[in-house]
Amino acid sequence: MTQEAGLDSDFRQQVVDTMCAVLASLLNRTDPVTEEMRLMEELGMSSTLGLELMLELEERLQILIDVERMGQADTTTVAAMASFVAGHCQPA
Amino acid sequence: MTALEAVSVYVPAVGTPIDDLAGPLGLTEMQLKLFKRFHGLSHVGRDPDTSLYGLLMKAAAGLDALRGNEHRVRYVLHARAMPVVAPYPDNPLHEVCHSLGLDHAIAFTVTHQSCASGLLAIDIAGRLLAGVDERSASSRAETDSGDSPLALILSGEKAFTREAQMFVDTTVFGEGAAACLVSASGTRDRMLSYACNVRGEFDSATGRNDARLQQEYRPSLAEVMREALDKAGVTLDDIQIVLPHNVNLVTWQRMSTLLGLPRDRVLLENISLNGHVYCADMFINYRTACDRGLLRPGGKYLAAAVGAGGGATFAAMVFEH
Repeated sequence: MTQEAGLDSDFRQQVVDTMCAVLASLLNRTDPVTEEMRLMEELGMSSTLGLELMLELEERLQILIDVERMGQADTTTVAAMASFVAGHCQPA
Repeated sequence: MTALEAVSVYVPAVGTPIDDLAGPLGLTEMQLKLFKRFHGLSHVGRDPDTSLYGLLMKAAAGLDALRGNEHRVRYVLHARAMPVVAPYPDNPLHEVCHSLGLDHAIAFTVTHQSCASGLLAIDIAGRLLAGVDERSASSRAETDSGDSPLALILSGEKAFTREAQMFVDTTVFGEGAAACLVSASGTRDRMLSYACNVRGEFDSATGRNDARLQQEYRPSLAEVMREALDKAGVTLDDIQIVLPHNVNLVTWQRMSTLLGLPRDRVLLENISLNGHVYCADMFINYRTACDRGLLRPGGKYLAAAVGAGGGATFAAMVFEH
C-alpha cells in the first residue's frame, strides 16, 4: 500500500466511502459527500480539517497515513485524496 | 557584513507533556490527538518559577563573549511576538540591561513581525551597527583595537495568556530564551542575505483571510526561502541545514516535499522537545546545530520563520558559518 500503481481498488473504495462519511460528519452536512466533489471550493475544507479527516481515517481504517508526502494535487477532490491515502499508508 | 558573534540559549531542562496542558488550554480530544500525531508536539517548555526577566537572564548567563565587552554594546533589542508582556511601569528589558551592565545601551523591542521578529532583529542590529561603523570610519582605531560596536539581541517570553500559550490547531508555545551578540563586520556566522515578505492582509484579528493564509502559508514561505538563496548567490544544494521556526512537524515535512529538500537537512528535533519558542527558535536550533556538529566552517545554512498575528510575515536568512 505504498505505491499508487499498485492500488487495491477494494481498499481505495473503502477509503472513499469512509472519507465521504467522515467529511459529512465533520462538515455537518445533510447532503451526501461524493467522490468527485472539490474539497476546498465545494466543501470549504481547511488544512486543519484535512488533518482531522486523516486522523479519523487512521482510526476507522486502522492505518497510518504518510501525511507529509501529500501534495497540493492530492487535495483537489475527494477522489484524489482517497487515492493518495490508499497509496500512502500502512497498517497501524 | 552582519554577523552573529555568539549565541546562548535557555530552555527548561524538562519539558511539560502537552497532555498535562490539555485541560488548562481547553483542548478537545481531537485537538490533542492532532498536536501529538501530526504536529509532532510532545513536550513544551514551562518554567513557572521564572519571570520574563529571569528567562532572559538565564540565556544571557551563557553568553561568555559578553563579559568584558559590555562597553561595546550599543544596542539591545528584545525580539518577541507579544506586544505587551509586563504591566507599566515594569520593564523587564531595562532590568536585564541594568543587571548586565548595559545601562548605556539603547534598548528597544522588536515585535511587529510576531515570531519572525527574531530574524528582523538580526537585520536591524546589523544595519544600526553598520551606521555606527560608518560614523566612526574616520577614527579606525576603535575598530582596529577590537572595540568595534556590538548589539545584543534577546528573545524569549512567558506563556502568560491563552493567546501566548497556543495558536489554535497549529502550535503550542514553549517558554525559553536566547541571547545573541551581533556585529556589523564579524567573520563568524556571516549573514549573506535576508528576504522578508510582510502580508498585512492576513490579520488574525479579523480572521477574514484565515483560509487563504492556510493555502498560501507554505508557498509563501518557500518563496522567501528561494529569494534569500538567490540573494546569497547559493542554491538549496549548498545549504547544510535549514533552521526552521518550530511551529509544528507536518508543516516542515510538507515544506521539505514542496522544496525538494531532504528531510534530514531540516533540524526538526526541537519541535517535540520544546514546542514553538516564539522568536527564539532560530537561535535554539542554531545552538543545537552547533552542538551536534552539523555546521562546518564555511558551510551555509538557512533560517526561516513565519510570524502570524496582526498580519503575517514570511522571512528567511542565509548565513555562512
